[in-house]
Formats: sequence, structure tokens, C-alpha cells
Amino acid sequence: MIRSEEILHTVEMIQKENLDVRAVTMGISLLDCHRADAASTCQAIREKIRKHACQLVPVCEAISAEYAIPVVNKRIAVTPIALVGAGFDVDGFVEIAKALDDAASDVGIDILGGFSADVSSGMTCGDQALIDAIPRALTSTQKVCASVNVGTTRSGINMDAVVQLGQTIKDLAEGSAESGGFAAAKFVVFTNQPGDNPFMAGAIHGVGQPEVVINVGVSGPGVIARALQRRIDQAGEQKLGLHDLADEIKQTAFRVTRSGELIGRQVARALNVPFGVVDLSLAPTPNVGDSVGEIMQILGVDAIGAPGSTAIIAMLNDAVKKGGTFASQSVGGLSGAFIPVCEDQALANAVRDDTLGLEKLEAMTSVCSVGLDMVALPGSVDAATLSAIIADEMAIGMINGKTTAVRVIPVPGKEAGEFVSFGGLFGESAIARVRNVGKSSRFVAFGGKIPAPIHSLKN
Amino acid sequence: MKETQHSYVISIMSRDRVGIVHEVSRALSEINGNIADIRQSVLCGYFTMILLASFPEKVTARDVERKLAEIDARSDTAIDVMVKQVEEDFVPFRPSIPENAYVLTATGPDKVGFVATVSSFCVKHNINILDLSTTAHDGIYMMILVIDISQCTSIGDVRRNLQEFSQQTGLNMVLQHYDIFKAVNDIALPLH
Repeated sequence: MIRSEEILHTVEMIQKENLDVRAVTMGISLLDCHRADAASTCQAIREKIRKHACQLVPVCEAISAEYAIPVVNKRIAVTPIALVGAGFDVDGFVEIAKALDDAASDVGIDILGGFSADVSSGMTCGDQALIDAIPRALTSTQKVCASVNVGTTRSGINMDAVVQLGQTIKDLAEGSAESGGFAAAKFVVFTNQPGDNPFMAGAIHGVGQPEVVINVGVSGPGVIARALQRRIDQAGEQKLGLHDLADEIKQTAFRVTRSGELIGRQVARALNVPFGVVDLSLAPTPNVGDSVGEIMQILGVDAIGAPGSTAIIAMLNDAVKKGGTFASQSVGGLSGAFIPVCEDQALANAVRDDTLGLEKLEAMTSVCSVGLDMVALPGSVDAATLSAIIADEMAIGMINGKTTAVRVIPVPGKEAGEFVSFGGLFGESAIARVRNVGKSSRFVAFGGKIPAPIHSLKN
Repeated sequence: MKETQHSYVISIMSRDRVGIVHEVSRALSEINGNIADIRQSVLCGYFTMILLASFPEKVTARDVERKLAEIDARSDTAIDVMVKQVEEDFVPFRPSIPENAYVLTATGPDKVGFVATVSSFCVKHNINILDLSTTAHDGIYMMILVIDISQCTSIGDVRRNLQEFSQQTGLNMVLQHYDIFKAVNDIALPLH
């Protein structure tokens, strides 16, 4: 029996409300690709990626056509390269980055993540070589993304690494000054980095994952925004409490997640690869109607960043998780609401209008997903201040047992209030103001380690 | 000794009122009819029911019609009855919606010939309509069809033909896999 209303509602969700599968990411283990020298290792890497991923794009497109739901991004995540290239020098790691770039172009995907290391308890020689290679690696390739995990709730925060990485971000930005510092947008610093996140730039195929896997990132800020607006229009604002709106988000998140799960499982089946996880995250894009910031405005703040913004984001994040978890057999990745400034028109406008500042963004990251993401900063901010910004965000993640990250772009030659555009999905934004620049050098100079919090002792 | 049974498909139509299902089923049981399956619909105040029932061999279609005519005689509202014999080797069980079903929605101005036009597309491309429903409001008509395209060459061809049809007729046509509707509306995932 046809349930007409449900069918019509679903058709509208797909046709009018930008429902899509935001990312299908194939995770590939490269642990068996290490050879006696860098060149042979690169060859092994290229062959393995080609072997497993050559059908990824065609299959995604075929299934997308069959179901008429777009698969927006097809990506690859690999084993953290610090493990794969351990024993090679900085030049060797740069070579590997180029091999990854070639492999990505070979199979037709747009981004490959995993030029990464986990240094949460300390640095190996391989980790150090990779970190030293990052600036050259990312400025001389197109499609490769890098990340470093500097902390976990269990081990604390490696502040020596944080000190280095502030400078790494500066080097990346300066090395790509002609594109506004874009190379820094391909690099993320994490605490509690998950091994199965399908979103870039922080995707890796973590240790403990199978040989090959398909992970899916659903999306749908637009779908949720429309659903909320519809509910408010039908019932009237006076008759609704925040719990009603949370429920609407939850139900819509269920539907959105289910679409992603369906498509993801079909792709996995067609490729004969195990299905990993659905990442429930609400990931915005610069496209109109695809904004998390817009949801915040519908939920009642006239200016994003006004008091209430943190509460709203907390509620949104939680409702998405509740609806999405019921919808999926296996949920993983980051699974929360993203607030990437450049990639979300409403958030970018709020920074431009100075209603949303770095401090409020930081507050919001404590209750939602990821962290300070795609925030353009003045090019003059010193490395030590960047390291301190990172440290703050890492501390939020470590203490609260969640993933937090920093992905900021200090735009060379530009100051707060000026404008930068990265194009395409990476969007554009005004440059945010950083208060108290240059006042954290002594803190950063201590280095060492921030010990793990007491509640990490769970045994 | 086990008696052989044969089956009839019986269709009933009348103005909707309380009691029709009871009167029909009681009458059938009085002539040893065993009801295997029933579907019913109410449209615009009219009730219609189609059912499958098996009877002992000696009961003929005429017997069933005569028995059900008694209900019509007693009833304030006229009850129309049709009885058809089912072939011996008919297989009664079939999944209602096959695994590879699609949902086609057609939207356009409400006018004469809408349903005929859309169903002509299905006939022309060897598409079997499994279920359909329509809604209309504000002069806009929408048809929802659950279709089986297993006899078509490929989903790509169907989509191309549909796009052509949409341009020729000016109707908005959307084709979506049925699993999507199940996935987003049912509790269980449609995993095959």
C-alpha cells in the first residue's frame, strides 16, 4: 500500500532540499607497502591504491544514478603515512606525498587523506620526518591532506608537537601565499582523532581498521533547515518548545542518515568491500541552503555568535546524533555538527559582520563536532600564538573525551576584516580577529606534555 | 478422504456502510468458503472489496453468486458482486513489492487525460504498474506509481525516456528507487 504523504515528503527531501551523500571514502591499508627504499614504496603505494580504488568513482556514479541521490565526493583515506614511511628521511616522505597525489589522480578522486602521524605520547623518527615534510608535501601536491594527532584523553597532549605544528601551519601558509595560504587548509591538528572519519582534511585509515573499507559521510544541513522551517510555519513559533524542534531535527537526521546508509552499503556491496561506518555529521558547503549557521538562525539567534549560540549548537549536535544512531547499524567518524567558517555562508557572514569571533567559536566547539575549522586568521599571527590556539582546542577535546581539531589558515599579507577566497567547496570568508596576539610565548616555550586527565584512569 | 477445493476471486462494490464485510464473510462461510486473502478500499463513499476464497468442488461460481445475491436482496444499499474462477495451477503467493521496484511521481496541471498519458508511458516501455495513488489540490494533480522495470533494458534508458516524455508532455516526472522510501520511513533497513 502506498503511503502517499511519506512518498511525497521523501521526494521533496531529495529533489528540493539538497539531500545527498556528502562523502564516500574508501579506506585502504598501506601497512604492507613499505619497501627497502622510498621509490619502491611509492610504487607499491600507487599499485595498491589503483588495485582497490580503480572502480570507486564509476561505482559511486552508477549507484548514484540508480537511486538518483548524488554522491558528492569520492575520496580515499590511507594508513597514517608516518607508519608506512618509517625509516625514510624528509625527502622520502615528500616523494610518498607525490605518489599519493599521483594515485589519487589516477583513480579520479579529488582528495586523499592520511599523510599523518599520531604523536600523542611522543614522537618517533618517522613522525618527525613526516612533520618536517608536511610543508613541502602539501605545497607541491594538489590532492593530499595531512593531519597530526597530538593528544588523547588517555595520554594527554604532546605540547612539544603542538609547538612545532604552530610553525608548520605558518610554513604551509607562507609556502602557498599566492593562493591565500591554501595549503594550510589541507592540514589538521587533532586530539582523539578517529580512524574512520570519512571527511577531509582529517581522514585517515586508522590502525585497527580492516584491509579496505567504505565509510560514508551523510549530510543535509539544508534538509534539516527546511524541516525546521516547515514545522515552525505549520505550528507557529508560540506553540513550539525547543524540545519539539529537537525532535524534528532528530527525525530528519534519521531520514538523512538512512539515505546515506543505503547508498553506502550498496557501494560497498558493489565493490565487494566491507562497509565501515556512517558518519552522521552535518557538514555544510558554501552553497546556498546548505548551511549549519542557517539552522542556528532558524532556531532563534538573529546573529550567529549571539548569546544562545552555544546552547543551540549543543542541542542540534545531540539531536543529530540521536536520530542518526537509530538509523544506522554502525555509526562512527566524527558524527556531530560541523562549524567550518569558510565553508558555511552564514558563519562566514557572521565573522565578516563581527558577530562571531574566535572565542565564541571555541565555546561552540566544546559542544559540537571537530573544532576551529576553516578559520581564516591574520597572516601576522605568530607561530607561538597559533600553537596556543591549538593547545586550547586540544584541551577541550582531551578533558571532554571528544575529538577536537584545529584547521586554521593564517593568510599571508592580510589582516582581520579583510577578505580571502579559496574557491569551490573550500569557500571564502572574512579574516577573524585574534585577541591577545603574541602574549602566549612563555606558555608555549615550556613545551613538554599536558598530562592526561584523572578521569582517563578507567580501569 | 480429503476433498479437492477450487478457488474464486470475488469482487464486491456498494455504498459504504457498517456490516458489509461481516455479511459477505458470513455468507461465504455458510457455503463452506475459506477466505484466503482480502483487500478493501473506500473511495468517495463507495466500498469495494476483492477477496480470494476456496470452496469444496461441488460449489460452483453460480452458487457463490446466488448466495451473495441474498445479501443484496436484504440490503438497503445495492451490492454488486462478480465471481471469477481461479486457474488450478495458479500460485497464490507473490511478494507484493519486488526487490527492484521504483517509484514514479508525475506532477502537472489537473486535466482530462492525465492518468491515461502517464500510464501510456508505462505501457510503451513495458513497465508494469504495481500500485498507484493520486492526489490533487489547487489545480495540481500528482500521480504516484510503484513500478516494476525489470522488463526494461536499463535504468539509464528508462531515465532518458522519462526525460523525453517529461519535455514532450510538460509533466514533472521523478523516478526514485523504492528502497529509499523504505529506508527513510521504515524502522528496519531494507537490506536484501
